[in-house]
Amino acid sequence: MRPDIEGFLKAERTRQAEALEQTTLQLSLDRRQFLKVSGLAAGGLFVGVSLPNTSIADTKATVFNPNAFIHLQENGDVLIYCGRCEMGQGISTALPSVVADEMEADWSFVRVEQAEGDQDKFGSQATGGSASIRTMYEPMRKAGASAKDMLIAAAAKVWNTSSDNCYAKQHFVYHKGNDNKLSYGELAPIAASMEVPEAPTLKAATDFNYVGKALPRHDVGMVISGKRTYGVDVKVPGMQYAAIVHCPVMGGTLRSLDKTEALKVPGVTAVVEIAPLKVPFGSLGGVAVVADNSWTAQQGVSKLKIEWDRGEHGSYDTDAYMGELIKNVEKPAEKIAERGDVENAFKNAAKTVSATYTEGHLVHAPMEPNASVVAVHDNHCEVWASTQSPDDIQSVLSGFLGMDKKQIKVNVMICGGAFGRKFKCDYVQEAAAISKAVGTPIQLTWTREEDTKTGYYHSNSAQHIKASLDENNNVTGWLHRIAFPSINTLFDPSVQFAPANAVSEIESHPFGVTNLRSESGLAPAHTRIGWYRAVYAIFWGLGFGVFADELAETAGVDTVTMLNRLYDANKNPEQAELVARSKAVLALAAEKSGFGKALPEGEGLGIAVHYSFQTYVAMAVHVRMKGDDFEVVRVDNAVDCGQVLNKDGAAAQQEGAVAMGISLSKYCEVTFKDGAVVNGNFDDYPVMRITDMPEVRTHFIESDAAPTGLGEPGMAPFAPALVNAIYQASGKRYRSLPIQPLRT
Amino acid sequence: MSENPSINTPTKKITINDREYDIDVPENMPLLWFLRDRLELTGTKFGCGKALCGACTVHVDGEATRSCVIPVGALAGRSITTIEGLSDSDEHPLQKAWLEVGVPQCGYCQAGQIMNAASLLKRNTSPSEQEIETAMQGNICRCGTYQRIKKAISVAADELAKEVS
Ligand code: FES
Ligand code: FES
Repeated sequence: MRPDIEGFLKAERTRQAEALEQTTLQLSLDRRQFLKVSGLAAGGLFVGVSLPNTSIADTKATVFNPNAFIHLQENGDVLIYCGRCEMGQGISTALPSVVADEMEADWSFVRVEQAEGDQDKFGSQATGGSASIRTMYEPMRKAGASAKDMLIAAAAKVWNTSSDNCYAKQHFVYHKGNDNKLSYGELAPIAASMEVPEAPTLKAATDFNYVGKALPRHDVGMVISGKRTYGVDVKVPGMQYAAIVHCPVMGGTLRSLDKTEALKVPGVTAVVEIAPLKVPFGSLGGVAVVADNSWTAQQGVSKLKIEWDRGEHGSYDTDAYMGELIKNVEKPAEKIAERGDVENAFKNAAKTVSATYTEGHLVHAPMEPNASVVAVHDNHCEVWASTQSPDDIQSVLSGFLGMDKKQIKVNVMICGGAFGRKFKCDYVQEAAAISKAVGTPIQLTWTREEDTKTGYYHSNSAQHIKASLDENNNVTGWLHRIAFPSINTLFDPSVQFAPANAVSEIESHPFGVTNLRSESGLAPAHTRIGWYRAVYAIFWGLGFGVFADELAETAGVDTVTMLNRLYDANKNPEQAELVARSKAVLALAAEKSGFGKALPEGEGLGIAVHYSFQTYVAMAVHVRMKGDDFEVVRVDNAVDCGQVLNKDGAAAQQEGAVAMGISLSKYCEVTFKDGAVVNGNFDDYPVMRITDMPEVRTHFIESDAAPTGLGEPGMAPFAPALVNAIYQASGKRYRSLPIQPLRT
Repeated sequence: MSENPSINTPTKKITINDREYDIDVPENMPLLWFLRDRLELTGTKFGCGKALCGACTVHVDGEATRSCVIPVGALAGRSITTIEGLSDSDEHPLQKAWLEVGVPQCGYCQAGQIMNAASLLKRNTSPSEQEIETAMQGNICRCGTYQRIKKAISVAADELAKEVS
């Protein structure tokens, strides 16, 4: 250590020891209260960026802890917390790399940890809607930049100069006037007493070290050695293992249970009835078996003799239901929005085109089934869960256990895939119910079958589109009816029609059609409906994307020409950017894929564009027919997500969207008979395998617009581009997905 | 753990990552759960329990095997390698290639993928794309990392070829 800072350090340590005492005192106050007392806004200023610089989270006096996200040690090591949940999308690299970049930290000194559930401290942690990058980019920049400003101020203090005479680079602060430099580690204790800047200095885009580059994921090393710990892997002392079987029908109840045989299985210690918890994300109800290992618990479950009363949804049959949905969109339905005069446009049409598109229920099927460990104690509860929303766990458990949210500690584990499923914490609440009943920590792991049969399913849907064209093949009218059980039904079972805000996509779509009407058809829910990666964009993408191709055919032009014609017809100035950016990704995908070039017999190139979650994606899908089957040869996708934070991670999301797109277009459909799900495992709910994987090439639009997320936007344009490609290759138009449904 | 039904016969042994263990669980317990819940070697994952997804792949005497369907009792005297024991400090060519290519997304399927690929490279040091696909089709990745898996296996094969020559 340099002698010139020895004195500072000594004084600092005394000051920090005092501060620590103060903090300990303050901690006995309610946290919000404390923040108010110290005159610093908690909720108002975003995500703890404004937290006091005395360390609350970490009691080590030598740590520089300018805000909830950054902990700098005296040896230079930086711990950066990721507040958002990791499920494979790479957020725990993306956000901390932004912090590190603005902080001018050397990434090799950075360790990333997942923050526990604490929204007061870390801001919203609910991870979905491709929103993490969109909403957290600026706050993370500020968190990093304020640390850097404070480190610079600390160096300035040591050198007795002004901050303007200093600059930070890769873990050091340098003096501009001489060759003095101080390391971040050395500066840490001094920086801790600097004022948190109100408006930290953000970097110019050209100065970024990590943002916009292909920074490797921080956790790959742990993954390849089997050391990354998921919810399913957590072990705590005294823990027992549980397996569960659920009531097969939403709203059904347990009629009789004979647990004699289950209790005879050596190693089984208890059978616990789980009552349905009638709150969103509460258990559907079931019976759990507790044992000294998961497999024995599963054996126990197989020995249960259970009779269920299936209740009011006991006759749900997806084939019959789809017939109803189709009927409901092929006749007038509830009007949602209208502009111009559609009837008149149809009357004066040179041609009209219409088509009906349908898709079935999907289940998320992440590779890690639902799993968590919960330890319920008298006055508190600790949870280790693969989750997308720790706050929802705290809410649901606080209601269920009669505890304050603060008494529920949630350790956020990486999800082994989630895709929207692990937003809903029914599996955690069940583990809590079992732990409460047996008095030990419980690890509850669902079997694959339970995961498939007790989901929150992507809505099945039918949509009917009719359009009119004039003699110049301009689209003059557009009627769009859709029927699907909406996610609103999860919160209000009386909902019978997808509400206006779930159908607004039709009127806000960037296609420029003067006369347009949207309608919502009758579609009550008979099972739990939930967010699935890309949510409704899946069927909007299909409807708009395939219908544009059908319009192109009617008009005798290629699809790119028709799409451009539709965009160019949009004269709404408020949608000018939407139109321009949609056209740009379309042009890029067309160019990169060689759209328009002649293809060999039996091959086709389909294209589609979709804007969702504030990101623009165009996909060009090249297929080759193999008899009735087909092979996707290559996908060129063009992306405008504003500024790209991590090129490699972004490309990975697009590859993943293509893979999931192939699964849902070709194979996936959850079917119900007599109220219950028919599918169970990957034999009767097949998903795509490596043999189906095409070459995926991702092309980014160079942009300095605010960055937007990519977890979902790649999903919507794939299926329509595929359907269009198959049509071109074979003349067969698949308006109903999946293309190869498995009928059991 | 449950009482061993074969309590009067000498305890059977199994070697896992070069260490010998007593099979002190019911012999029909699948190896997967012996690894995960008894030995707390959780790198080997549970995905389907029915030999459909490959998440649980380990090596039995060097060969890729789905641990979710093979009873541990049937493996007495055999030698098992799990992801934790594939190499001493993650320097297996596949692990290095996985890092280089940046394969994992959620990572949950990856131990199974790597173990299966390691078995493939043992049989065939320079597999074609077709051979890679055929060998790897039992391993599901819901995140869709297949393109990178293929690439990483090729990178590792090239590396192996260099080591040999
Ligand atoms: S868990 Fe063994 S193959 Fe899926
Ligand atoms: S990386 Fe998530 S399942 Fe393969």
